[in-house]
Amino acid sequence: MAASSSVVPVAVSAAVVPALSSSGDFSNLREIKKQLLLIAGLTRERGLLHSSKWSAELAFSLPALPLSELQPPPPITEEDAQDMDAYTLAKAYFDVKEYDRAAHFLHGCNSKKAYFLYMYSRYLSGEKKKDDETVDSLGPLEKGQVKNEALRELRVELSKKHQARELDGFGLYLYGVVLRKLDLVKEAIDVFVEATHVLPLHWGAWLELCNLITDKEMLKFLSLPDTWMKEFFLAHIYTELQLIEEALQKYQNLIDVGFSKSSYIVSQIAVAYHNIRDIDKALSIFNELRKQDPYRIENMDTFSNLLYVRSMKSELSYLAHNLCEIDKYRVETCCVIGNYYSLRSQHEKAALYFQRALKLNPRYLGAWTLMGHEYMEMKNTSAAIQAYRHAIEVNKRDYRAWYGLGQTYEILKMPFYCLYYYRRAHQLRPNDSRMLVALGECYEKLNQLVEAKKCYWRAYAVGDVEKMALVKLAKLHEQLTESEQAAQCYIKYIQDIYSCGEIVEHLEESTAFRYLAQYYFKCKLWDEASACAQKCCAFNDTREEGKALLRQILQLRNQGETPSTEMPAPFFLPASLSANNTPTRRVSPLNLSSVTP
Amino acid sequence: MPVSWDTAPAGGGLGRLVACSEREPGRGAHQGSWTQSWGAMASVHESLYFNPMMTNGVVHANVFGIKDWVTPYKIAVLVLLNEMGRTGEGAVSLMERRRLNQLLLPLLQGPDITLSKLYKLIEESCPQLANSVQIRIKLMAEGELKDMEQFFDDLSDSFSGTEPEVHKTSVVGLFLRHMILAYSKLSFSQVFKLYTALQQYFQNGEKKTVEDADMELASREESERKMEKEELDVSIREEEVSCSGPLSQKQAEFFLSQQASLLKNDETKALTPASLQKELNNLLKFNPDFAEAHYLSYLNNLRVQDVFSSTHSLLHYFDRLILTGAESKSNGEEGYGRSLRYAALNLAALHCRFGHYQQAELALQEAIRIAQESNDHVCLQHCLSWLYVLGQKRSDSYVLLEHSVKKAVHFGLPYLASLGIQSLVQQRAFAGKTANKLMDALKDSDLLHWKHSLSELIDISIAQKTAIWRLYGRSTMALQQAQLLLSMNSLESVNAGVQQNNTESFAVALGHLAELHAEQGCFAAASEVLKHLKERFPPNSQHAQLWMLCDQKIQFDRAMNDGKYHLADSIVTGITALNSIEGVYRKAIVLQAQNQMSEAHKLLQKLLIHCQKIRNTEMVISVLLSVAELYWRSSSPTIALPVLLQALALSKEYRLQHLASETVLNLAFAQLILGIPEQALSLLHMAIEPILADGAVLDKGRAMFLVAKCQVASAASYEPLKKAAVLEAAIENLSEAKNYFAKVDCKEQIRDVVYFQARLYHTLGKTQERNRCAMLFRQLHQDLPFHGVPLINLL
Repeated sequence: MAASSSVVPVAVSAAVVPALSSSGDFSNLREIKKQLLLIAGLTRERGLLHSSKWSAELAFSLPALPLSELQPPPPITEEDAQDMDAYTLAKAYFDVKEYDRAAHFLHGCNSKKAYFLYMYSRYLSGEKKKDDETVDSLGPLEKGQVKNEALRELRVELSKKHQARELDGFGLYLYGVVLRKLDLVKEAIDVFVEATHVLPLHWGAWLELCNLITDKEMLKFLSLPDTWMKEFFLAHIYTELQLIEEALQKYQNLIDVGFSKSSYIVSQIAVAYHNIRDIDKALSIFNELRKQDPYRIENMDTFSNLLYVRSMKSELSYLAHNLCEIDKYRVETCCVIGNYYSLRSQHEKAALYFQRALKLNPRYLGAWTLMGHEYMEMKNTSAAIQAYRHAIEVNKRDYRAWYGLGQTYEILKMPFYCLYYYRRAHQLRPNDSRMLVALGECYEKLNQLVEAKKCYWRAYAVGDVEKMALVKLAKLHEQLTESEQAAQCYIKYIQDIYSCGEIVEHLEESTAFRYLAQYYFKCKLWDEASACAQKCCAFNDTREEGKALLRQILQLRNQGETPSTEMPAPFFLPASLSANNTPTRRVSPLNLSSVTP
Repeated sequence: MPVSWDTAPAGGGLGRLVACSEREPGRGAHQGSWTQSWGAMASVHESLYFNPMMTNGVVHANVFGIKDWVTPYKIAVLVLLNEMGRTGEGAVSLMERRRLNQLLLPLLQGPDITLSKLYKLIEESCPQLANSVQIRIKLMAEGELKDMEQFFDDLSDSFSGTEPEVHKTSVVGLFLRHMILAYSKLSFSQVFKLYTALQQYFQNGEKKTVEDADMELASREESERKMEKEELDVSIREEEVSCSGPLSQKQAEFFLSQQASLLKNDETKALTPASLQKELNNLLKFNPDFAEAHYLSYLNNLRVQDVFSSTHSLLHYFDRLILTGAESKSNGEEGYGRSLRYAALNLAALHCRFGHYQQAELALQEAIRIAQESNDHVCLQHCLSWLYVLGQKRSDSYVLLEHSVKKAVHFGLPYLASLGIQSLVQQRAFAGKTANKLMDALKDSDLLHWKHSLSELIDISIAQKTAIWRLYGRSTMALQQAQLLLSMNSLESVNAGVQQNNTESFAVALGHLAELHAEQGCFAAASEVLKHLKERFPPNSQHAQLWMLCDQKIQFDRAMNDGKYHLADSIVTGITALNSIEGVYRKAIVLQAQNQMSEAHKLLQKLLIHCQKIRNTEMVISVLLSVAELYWRSSSPTIALPVLLQALALSKEYRLQHLASETVLNLAFAQLILGIPEQALSLLHMAIEPILADGAVLDKGRAMFLVAKCQVASAASYEPLKKAAVLEAAIENLSEAKNYFAKVDCKEQIRDVVYFQARLYHTLGKTQERNRCAMLFRQLHQDLPFHGVPLINLL
């Protein structure tokens, strides 16, 4: 690559990190490793702990460098030397969270590093005070008014420096954070983009950008630096935007070029699989991750969700105890414990733990939603609504909360009212069959069968998770006496079940066979009818009917000549129908008649 | 005989018949309803009824009993109270004391105000006390924290003693005790914060009173900081224009209730939709739990017809309300379920407003089901009246309404009851019930209104009477009722001190007024009224469509009178946008006037079928008349007769006097063409009286013209002497007709009249007069385009 290794340290001292290899080019892993180590050091010096952690983790996943290749620490400039004492003292204070003190001693320092630490301590001090203030507010309205007092001053100072082009990558990052906290989103995005251009190695800037981008369109219009860091960013944002296929593709690429050991990537992949409900894969990856990094707490809440869905009690219990031993005052730990209690149907305790998680971090979205679920279990609908609304306030794109609100109103027997919420959830996850089935059920309750049919069909078309859409569709057709379509749906349903080969008990299987048997019987297709009737005999609830039907068929066959004896009588259906199967699977637009606010 | 009044279409006359039959397209809920005032009703219905901040039209803030907190302003009020207690009987004169006492209540209950304002208020009632209050606050703010602590410690002294200054249970006593309690609950850091807030408050007050002096005194450092601050303000101003800072609880409540009532009563005075939304967003940013703001946001979004945002806000509001309902223990499960029912009901209202009838019905069913399950009769009553609104198209909907009224009376819901009565009256008037019964019913409901001071229903009732009188073709009565409404001081305005409310009823009454004036040829007055309407209801406000339609119709009529058919044609588009049925009808009239008979006929037939289906009798009759006109214009008056008879029967049945006389005119004309002028004349004698009394100027002119024609025609067989006398009389009638036509600028008709007069003068041998008329005719004939219809086909 153009950036030869020797350039790196010199450039860094000017606080600008060298031209990185362009995106998708991971040929020089050693170079990348060097850069990662460098940035880890730089961020650590500036107290940016999370970015430092991320870089170090990633660097760790790459093969170690020989001594000869290890970089000397960047040379110290004159300015740095001047501020050295103040910086050292302030950093010590900073590390023990005495931000005001640190800022006090850094006042007037000129070097970039000291200046950044100065501003950053002021920012953090403001944030800390804000959190403390919230407890002691003067009245309910003031609750929302507590804000970081330092932000405005910081903004003024930083914007002056920004206009004079005196900010380095870290300074830009801090400026961006301040802008974001002041809700100046547009400006913040611009500044973060600039920060990524100046210092592409700093993961924090990328991550902040992730939080500000709300859709794919926005992403398209950003001009991002063309570096290998961009790949990580894109993968991350695709996961955030629920573009799971793209995200997985990106992560796979990253693994292929040599980051296979990175626990970050592995965990992200697991989360992605979780998002597309590929539970088994996600579980196995998480198990792998736990083996590699047994004391990891991040993402374990997602893991516990998976265990919960699969009702793996013992594993969940083990995980909960393990995490509790590592650190019981972490948000994730509380969440895992909450899930654990929930699985044991101790919903009060579960809610308590989710509340604790929220106390630790009020912006932790998942806990609000989960708490809503717990309240639902406890039949406390109003509290559930409250929890879900909170979740939506934190993140409008939280489809689970919308879905939960819908469920709540459905339980309150307001099918029309809950349509709105399900629609919102559906908009956020257009290809999730669960919302579609829920929508369909509501329409069915409202006796809007046409809409319901559309929903079920669509749910089937996008890949039904619970395998219920087809049965429901079939029943609708049955209700509307569209026997042809009903039969087709049942056939597809049975084919689906048999093709995925699960041994899970499907209650509706017998219903399907019973209907099919009667349908063929009516159509005088004796062979098919008797095949289905025989299947019916395999189930308890339809055994008698099956037998009766068989007898009738026999009787009728004896009476008259069977019209279709030559037909080979395939297991279920004439080839024509099954051949139709694939083309009809196309996803038609879900054109619901109702207005969708 | 010149068929002059066929060349001028019936637009002038018929236009106004339909005046009552418009519905606002935007609010399709009332499809097929016939009076404008009904539109008013329905909108009132929803803005009032389900808004928890209001009951029976009165805005109540602070429904949810938010607790008091100590604020710097409250401390200032406490100081005032303390001072009042300390100054003995003699120090303050009796007059001043009374003024102070009057001042106290708004101070205690109102929102926080700035210190300088407070000083001013106190100064107005008692300058001497203001001074001492000022000094004490100054001492407290410039002193130490302990001064404030001491102040609160001393506060409770006013209750002690053998003869306490303040009774514990009095308003002031309660306030004092609230404050003392709230203060003692504060934590250490909160007390300190309160003190700094007090200092801030004091300094802000000082800054306003003495602006200049402190600039010099301020130290260098401070001025530096100020500079910085200013710079900051400049740079931030663009995005923070509306973020004028957080409001206190009471201020926020006050703001919300004020805006809500303005939205209902006088939209122009409320903030513009965009800025109101900005304010609300700001409010919600600082306090996301302030659910009422969501409701106001819903109302605001309704103003701009934004279905997405309004649904969003409405549901958000109810999600939030459910919380507060559940939290307040006194309501318990009941309050929670209640808000659920009303949530569904409101959703129905919303869909109804946007014309999603099917959705609305589903939501309504849901509301009804939940209300039934929990035995909430009041809610069910609301549902019932909404059911009526939704089911208006059905013929049996009045049964629902009758039930609704009975039940509402039974459950003591006067608002709903009289709203029901009003709707019922409307329904019945449309179904052709006699006026006296309707007026009786309205009178009864008026009694109810006055008893319960439902001022806006009174307005609606008067607007409705205006509409009904117009429907029956009694323009004088309609005029009187409209004037009554406009010059009446509504109850609310007396209370609130507002001049007048800009509600829909006023828009309706003013619209009628404009049309009535236009009918009488007072175009200047009509345009004056319209100008006023435009000011009161700017084009983007809720009720603007009402006057827009009136405006368009008046313009259309004038264009038709003037013979500018192309102009009229261009106006038709505008009318169609506001009211499709009306638009189609007018289009047909224009086509007819342009001699495109077959197109006009096709359009009219379609319209006829549609109107018969939706039971719009007024329009049916108008269409029948137009069809008849088409027939006799295509020289087949015999076919026109049965059509006219049908129209006559209908208008008699529904007591639409105006339309009836119009039909009689047509009938007489048909008879004239058929050559039985004597018959026509006797028929005319029957109709002429109501026309001259209540009819539009154009109709009067036509009637007189027709009388003259018939007189001439029937005089043909008379002996010369008698004939001359009859012709003289006819000339008299013609000049009268000419006067009428001149009033509404019908040049073509005038031309015909003049021609006719000239012929008559000629017959009588009065050359001079004949020449004058012929001259006039020639002038007019040169000015006017010739439309190919034979000027004279009978004389």
